[in-house]
Amino acid sequence: MKKLWMMLFAVLMVVTLAACGNGEDEGDETGADDPTEGDIEEAPEGDEDDITAWAWDPNFNIRALELADDAYDGDADVELEIIENAQDDIVQRLNTSLSSGAMQGMPNIVLIEDYRAQSFLQAYPDAFYPITDYINVDDFADYKIEPTSLDGEQYGLPFDSGVAGLYIRTDYLEEAGYSVEDVQDITWSEYVEIGKDIKEATGNNMLTQDPGDLGLIRIMLQSAGSWYFEDDGSTPNLDNNPALEATAEAYREIMEADIVSMVSDWSQFVGAFNDGAVASVPTGNWITASVTAEESQSGDWAVVPMPKLEVDGATNYSNLGGSSWYVLNSDGKEKAAEFLGNTFGSNEAFYQDLIEEIGAIGTYLPGLQGDAFEMEHEFFGGQQIIADFSEWTDNIPAVNYGMHTYAIDDIMAVELQEYLNDKPLEDVLNDAQSQAETQLR
Amino acid sequence: MKRFEKVKQLFIRNGLFIKLFSVTLFSILLVSIFITFSTIRVSTDLFMETFSITNSKIIQQITTQFNSYSATVASTINEIENNGVIKRVLSEEEMDSVTLSRSYFQINQELDRIYTSLQAFDANLIVTGQEDRLYNLSYIYWPVTKYYLDSLEMTERTFEEPRAINYHALDTAVIEDEVIVATKALTERLSDDIYGAVYVSIRESQLRDFYEGYTSEGNDVVLIDQDGQIISSSQSDLMGTVDTNLRSIAESTYLSNQEHTSVDIEGREHLLISEYLPGFDMYLINLIDRQQIVSSLINTREILMISGGIILLALVMVWFVTRRITKSLTRLVRQISKIAQHNFSERINETGGYESRQIAQAFNHTLDELQTYVGIVVESQKRQQRSELKSLQHQINPHFLYNTLTTVKFMVKQGDPEEAMSTIHALITLLQSTLGEFGETITVSKEIENTKNYVTINQARYGDRIKVNYFIAPDCESIQVPKLILQPFIENAFFHAFNQKKSGFIQILIRKQESRLLAEVVDDGDGMTLKTEELPHDNKKKRQLFSGIGMRNVHERIQLMYGKDYGVSVSSEIGKGTRITIELPIIDEDQHTDI
Repeated sequence: MKKLWMMLFAVLMVVTLAACGNGEDEGDETGADDPTEGDIEEAPEGDEDDITAWAWDPNFNIRALELADDAYDGDADVELEIIENAQDDIVQRLNTSLSSGAMQGMPNIVLIEDYRAQSFLQAYPDAFYPITDYINVDDFADYKIEPTSLDGEQYGLPFDSGVAGLYIRTDYLEEAGYSVEDVQDITWSEYVEIGKDIKEATGNNMLTQDPGDLGLIRIMLQSAGSWYFEDDGSTPNLDNNPALEATAEAYREIMEADIVSMVSDWSQFVGAFNDGAVASVPTGNWITASVTAEESQSGDWAVVPMPKLEVDGATNYSNLGGSSWYVLNSDGKEKAAEFLGNTFGSNEAFYQDLIEEIGAIGTYLPGLQGDAFEMEHEFFGGQQIIADFSEWTDNIPAVNYGMHTYAIDDIMAVELQEYLNDKPLEDVLNDAQSQAETQLR
Repeated sequence: MKRFEKVKQLFIRNGLFIKLFSVTLFSILLVSIFITFSTIRVSTDLFMETFSITNSKIIQQITTQFNSYSATVASTINEIENNGVIKRVLSEEEMDSVTLSRSYFQINQELDRIYTSLQAFDANLIVTGQEDRLYNLSYIYWPVTKYYLDSLEMTERTFEEPRAINYHALDTAVIEDEVIVATKALTERLSDDIYGAVYVSIRESQLRDFYEGYTSEGNDVVLIDQDGQIISSSQSDLMGTVDTNLRSIAESTYLSNQEHTSVDIEGREHLLISEYLPGFDMYLINLIDRQQIVSSLINTREILMISGGIILLALVMVWFVTRRITKSLTRLVRQISKIAQHNFSERINETGGYESRQIAQAFNHTLDELQTYVGIVVESQKRQQRSELKSLQHQINPHFLYNTLTTVKFMVKQGDPEEAMSTIHALITLLQSTLGEFGETITVSKEIENTKNYVTINQARYGDRIKVNYFIAPDCESIQVPKLILQPFIENAFFHAFNQKKSGFIQILIRKQESRLLAEVVDDGDGMTLKTEELPHDNKKKRQLFSGIGMRNVHERIQLMYGKDYGVSVSSEIGKGTRITIELPIIDEDQHTDI
């Protein structure tokens, strides 16, 4: 009898304990399944295979990343997540994160404009992962290496050339009585005259400008082989700089000709030429994709060399923007570097695709040949724009951007407004020089 | 039918067990079910109470977020409206490039400065002015053109109510997200002329960040405007739908200052907590799906499983325990009911539980006592009967003596001393045999001698018209028989059988038949009518002539001495005579026992 009781008791205990155990297990499971817990983690840490990339132009560098994702044929299993951010945002967030040393929420790959590259590399040398071992540096155009490397280590994977050209509406030219030939290798003064005529003939302005963005100034400056800095990249070279004087004068001439549409952001800038509101776009070749996005204007565009300044050393060739890929020194850096090396770093066929699909001109020398370069673009009236751009690339005067280009830009933006407001040019540049010296000291 | 009977029998036999077990089963089930459900109900209520309190706090916190956003929006718009540079630039008409450039530059500087406070919310600021002038501080968030903005209904409404900040929800194809836009017309302080408009847009996903961390499945937050349009929701399928009913419930909940109300949404019970967002002129609603929240936090299934397990265990135990108790009781009852069949001689098995063992012991004890008392009673009855017989045996009728002696006197007077002598002799022998010996039984030859003496006396008195013949088997002579078993029948034959016939014969036959001794007294007298083969009852009035022993006594005495197999039987026929048969066991002299 006693035995029976003991047995019953034992059974009871086992069942009860099992029930309790079950309860705990279930609790744990629901805890793990709780969606709020999983969501806290940021994408880069989320999945080992995930790498994230930030870029800003959906027509251009984002498309390039998508093509790279398709072209990737490396060993590792890479899931690329591409996030579009405004360039200013990217810069701001990089600065915030890198200065605090917190990599959380940061991407693995980030696109940085060459003008800014040195400021990041020098300010946060440990934040970037050197990719010297993943690419052959000699395969890339020389002028891209200086801004993207530091102390002999290659940090940036050079992407687009940024070679500048003047995109111009042939139909508007014709309406004003000009041909494409008339805008080949002209000066800025000639450009202004043509612009006036076009405005008279069509009612459309010649170009757009964002008063806060001195892209045009930089194009002009570099075309004359000068920059904001001396060759050392850090000594401001603003006053007593004939090239800058000529640039400012040309800029004022354009403005006073009243042939400029004002824009305040990128979408207005793109919208202006897509809507046919302006006759020309003097900028980097990376705008090709945005220009060709408006298919109704096919055949109405041509690309010619930049107008030049009337100063010693002036050329019709310049550069604007141009950017490179950087790998942040965080989890997944090897995979990200491997991905870049496999695509932008070595894949010639991929560069052909870049040209064919989005008209992007890379700086990977082995990729700068082949049928795609000879391709005649319907949109540009059969012009071999890639071949032309490549040709111009060789003629771009090399300058040292240094690490403070945009700091000077900000100073110059204010001073240029003063200049437009009839402040003597000498004073304008003197003031700018002293401000720059104070700020960069 | 037979099976039914069998089942019924089984029920009757196990009745106790079935009753006990079903009562316990019923109680356990009732208690378990009641406790289980009340536990679930109580914990649910308690949990929901706590949950709604917590959520009210959370909603207040979210409200603070929303309010801080709307406050920032309001202060931003205010700052823009009060900014002279912005006002001048927006009001300017038809400018050349240089002026325009300066204006753009200045307004951008001002706006950039003002925008920083909104940047923290990831909101976008757009200011429009004359012609197609538009300043979009973060075009990535909401790329628009002036033309597009002017075509919007919200712009129209803004200009209709230039003094108010209005919030609108807008679906944008461009960024695949809804934007919530705060709009305000920019007016001249004095003339009320409109010189531009401000749009502060925030993506719905950004707005959702204000509360998303607090929501979970079944615990949703909904932002609803005065038209009942759902502006933002953690449940994306609700977005853009119009639910005026929900809005009015939210309004009444908020106005009545209730912590929460219960609402029925799509057939499910929800708790609704609501807060009014004055900046937005919208209601922030927290919807808690009672069932889902409870089911995810209170594991009803587990509680039911545990209860079920306990019930099952309890039942198994109750089954065994009840079965043990009732089984021994049932067995006891069955045994007791069979006791009568065994003349109360069989004892009961003392097994089973303590209680039934005690009962069985008590019962056995009672049985033993009973047996003892019955023995005593039987014994005392026998003793009484024997003493009765003895006393009867000793009651020699004085009339008999008197008559016999009178006869003898006459014999002597008539001068027949021989005759007198033999009669006196017979009387002496008879009396000696009757009174003298103490034993109960005597041999057959002794009985016959007594009988002969009795017959001699009777014949001396009444003459020899009735003759008596003896046929005794020689092997019977030494067999023991009870004393005076023939005499009552001889007497009966002498005095009652020959009332009509005046003469006849009485035959006495004694022989062995099988294992019995048969003694017969046969007369050829008048005979009588008998209903059965029973002895006629002794007539109480008719006194026995010789001793107190009557025919009936003889029968009873034999049965008392030897059992029901033995006794006296009678057959009689009118006019032919009577036959008395006495059946006795064969008991030899040496086996003689005193009973």
